Amino acid sequence: MKKRYLAAVLSAVLVMSCTACGGGQDNNASAGGTEESTEGAQSSGSSTVVVAMGSGFATVDPGYVYEKYPPLIVNACYENLFKFYDNDSAPEPCLADSYEFSEDNLTLTVKLKEGITFASGNPMTSADVLFSINRCKNLQGNPSFIADTIESMEAPDEQTIVFHLTQEDSAILSKLTYSALAILDSAVVKENGGTDAEDAATTDTAQAYLDSTSAGSGMYVMTSYIPDEEVVLEKNPNYWGEATNVDKYIIKIQPDSNTQMMTLSTGDIDVALNMTDDTMAELAGAENIGIINGATKTVGFVMMNMKEEYSGPVSNPKVQQAIRKALDYSGFQIICGEGTLTPYSVIQSGFMGSKGERATDYTNLEEAKALLAEAGYADGFDVDLTVSDLDMEGILLTDLAQKVKDDLSQVGINVNIVSQPWAAGYGDAYRDGTLGFTVMYWGTDYNDPNVQLEFLPGAVVGLRAGWSEEMNPELAALYQETMAATDNDARIAVLEQVQDAMYEDGPFIMIAQAPAHIGYNSRLDGVAISDPYALDVTLINIK
Amino acid sequence: MEQLKFVGKRLAYLVIMLFGVATLVFILTKLIPGDPTVANLSQRALNDPEVVAAYKAKYGLDQPILVQYVLYIKNLLQFDLGTSIRTSKPVLSELARCYPATIELALFSILIAAVFGILFGVISAIRRNSILDQAVRAVSVTGVSIPSFWFALLVLYFFYYKLHIFPGPGRLDNSFSAPATVTGLYVLDSFLEGNIPKALDALSHLILPGTVLAAFTMGLITRTTRSNLLDVMSMDYIRTARAKGIGKVGLILHHALGNALIPVLTVIGLGLGNLLGGMVLVETIFNWPGVGQFAYESVLSADFPAIIGVALLIALNYMIINTVVDILYGVIDPRVRCQ
Repeated sequence: MKKRYLAAVLSAVLVMSCTACGGGQDNNASAGGTEESTEGAQSSGSSTVVVAMGSGFATVDPGYVYEKYPPLIVNACYENLFKFYDNDSAPEPCLADSYEFSEDNLTLTVKLKEGITFASGNPMTSADVLFSINRCKNLQGNPSFIADTIESMEAPDEQTIVFHLTQEDSAILSKLTYSALAILDSAVVKENGGTDAEDAATTDTAQAYLDSTSAGSGMYVMTSYIPDEEVVLEKNPNYWGEATNVDKYIIKIQPDSNTQMMTLSTGDIDVALNMTDDTMAELAGAENIGIINGATKTVGFVMMNMKEEYSGPVSNPKVQQAIRKALDYSGFQIICGEGTLTPYSVIQSGFMGSKGERATDYTNLEEAKALLAEAGYADGFDVDLTVSDLDMEGILLTDLAQKVKDDLSQVGINVNIVSQPWAAGYGDAYRDGTLGFTVMYWGTDYNDPNVQLEFLPGAVVGLRAGWSEEMNPELAALYQETMAATDNDARIAVLEQVQDAMYEDGPFIMIAQAPAHIGYNSRLDGVAISDPYALDVTLINIK
Repeated sequence: MEQLKFVGKRLAYLVIMLFGVATLVFILTKLIPGDPTVANLSQRALNDPEVVAAYKAKYGLDQPILVQYVLYIKNLLQFDLGTSIRTSKPVLSELARCYPATIELALFSILIAAVFGILFGVISAIRRNSILDQAVRAVSVTGVSIPSFWFALLVLYFFYYKLHIFPGPGRLDNSFSAPATVTGLYVLDSFLEGNIPKALDALSHLILPGTVLAAFTMGLITRTTRSNLLDVMSMDYIRTARAKGIGKVGLILHHALGNALIPVLTVIGLGLGNLLGGMVLVETIFNWPGVGQFAYESVLSADFPAIIGVALLIALNYMIINTVVDILYGVIDPRVRCQ
């Protein structure tokens, strides 16, 4: 009897294995390259594109989004008044038809394009714009700060919105491109618990709905979202503009870069967003695979607190300059991988007004030693460098800290690396400005050089380094001057002043702009690095 | 009646243990350094006191710890595990979303581990000290000692990327959409949908991650089966049976294996409990949206309600499995029932 049981179990396992293997054979087909159709299944025909991204996210409700990848989905399903059609260019009108600043730059009037409809078929009006922006502001979520300079709005007619600003804001158009300010179909969102009232933080219940589908006017509609697994976008049948020839996107969450490399090579996915130098090397020379290595605007920096009580000798400006001279920037580029840049100063390469890259021969150990001697530390000193468990686009900050330690040992500074988790103390200390010496990164909140003004004395990040406005009032004043420069030429001139002033002065050293490594199936056209959207799927076509 | 009393007693223990685990994990999450506000709010938002206050109020983080605890236990008694700080969704529904993926993979893995582990153990015992025995022992030692993340990359590289024998990461091929959720187990739900190709595709996606996860438990089962079988085979009643002329295979299957299986059952139970707790690295490599990945993301976000939820789930797993194993002892060996 027992023999029969054993035989039955073994047979079952064998049959299962065989049938299962049979099922697996079909997977050699390209994600979108073949018309694979199976009974009762969706077809991933040639007009479907599969994208792999490196991590899941908390929400795709535009009112709450602030993580790296949700903008990819929001940009596909919703639209903003303005949009970045090119990663390094200025924002251009999208839903807006025209715009005008008042003479004092405190009022912005935007006229909407006519004939725009949401995926539901509802026409888009200025009331939807007011609802969406007020909702984001009143939800008091992560991205609410983006509307800080908007004091109030009014809609004199269905096609016009007037923004009253709290101060001159040369970045307002860029801010209006941000995913959190995407325009929602207010009727649909209200029906599903949404509100833009002042108490929206406690009364709005639309997040669950907006995590299950989309309510925008974008090229695509989110038809399925399985958290930490995949998102499916299908073409919006009521799209008002000219759509690309991609009918459907399947966005897969694939955290491991080796997995992305293998699935791209076998044709199971079309775009791999999180490749590394190593996995890119595997793809070199592969047929039908395109690769992109380029710098993002996420920047790693060394912070040296200006307050001696926290940083000891590192607070001395001469020591800070010595450290700046001692760091081997090309070494950081090697650690971070192909495509990495070292910005000239505080404004990343690629931004309007950027002065480009720091000269490769900037490092000078003799000068660094001389500066240390001038500061009274000819024999060097010991210092703690605190580092968190975070990574910058996949590059561990501890790796960068190790490189700082190695470089500074060349000039007699003995660095002791102290690890502290972000959520367990480091975050608080960083925010409170009590970290003496650290390596950190800064991801741009919105795609505009003004985000970097936070590094100025008296601004958000400046204060984290104990750099108050009084320490350098002239430089601090450039914050407001840049904000007021709504004319691009004028803004570029001020931004250049900022960069020159911080080139060899201040508590920050920008060490590297993190690279992005993207692999894609060469049947696609328009795949490119996108800082605001991670990948702009509305610009991709199948050749 | 005795059996019912036994099960009732076990269930009572289970409730007390769960309460203890909930309290312990709650205290631990409050003791360890980690601020959910810092972990989940952006650098800009952290600088806005209004946003920070609204965030703390939303998740009850502004309440004294004792009030938070009382509220937590009160909600727990109503089967409410709270709201995930990371995803803003009920923890119970988040666990219901990701746990079936783990259950499906764990059951498949334990099936492979048990079938092949016992088979190899028996073969090894029968052919003691032969080349076959040496080979089986080498395989089992390798299974126990090989790092699962490395093994995962290895099998994916060869069997998916190079040889194209098995499908790649994920639970289904791109050409299929997820089946309508009944159990959350894709193979079963696809069968229930009447879509056989989809069910077979889901089954095929289980093979590589299932094999990787099975390797460790299979090694343990093989070794336990072998050593126990050898012990039993040296007992007097086996010698008597052999003297009666019973063949070697019959001797093992009819007289020895049953007695040797009790410790094996314990190993299988522990292995299943381990697998049901989720395997972060293997889930990451195989893009498997299970409870391991959920737990990992929750820890990174200091998402205390979710962490406590996962801890309770894992505790519940072990308790249920241990209870079932205890009952199965009685089924395999009537002497245990008498005790």
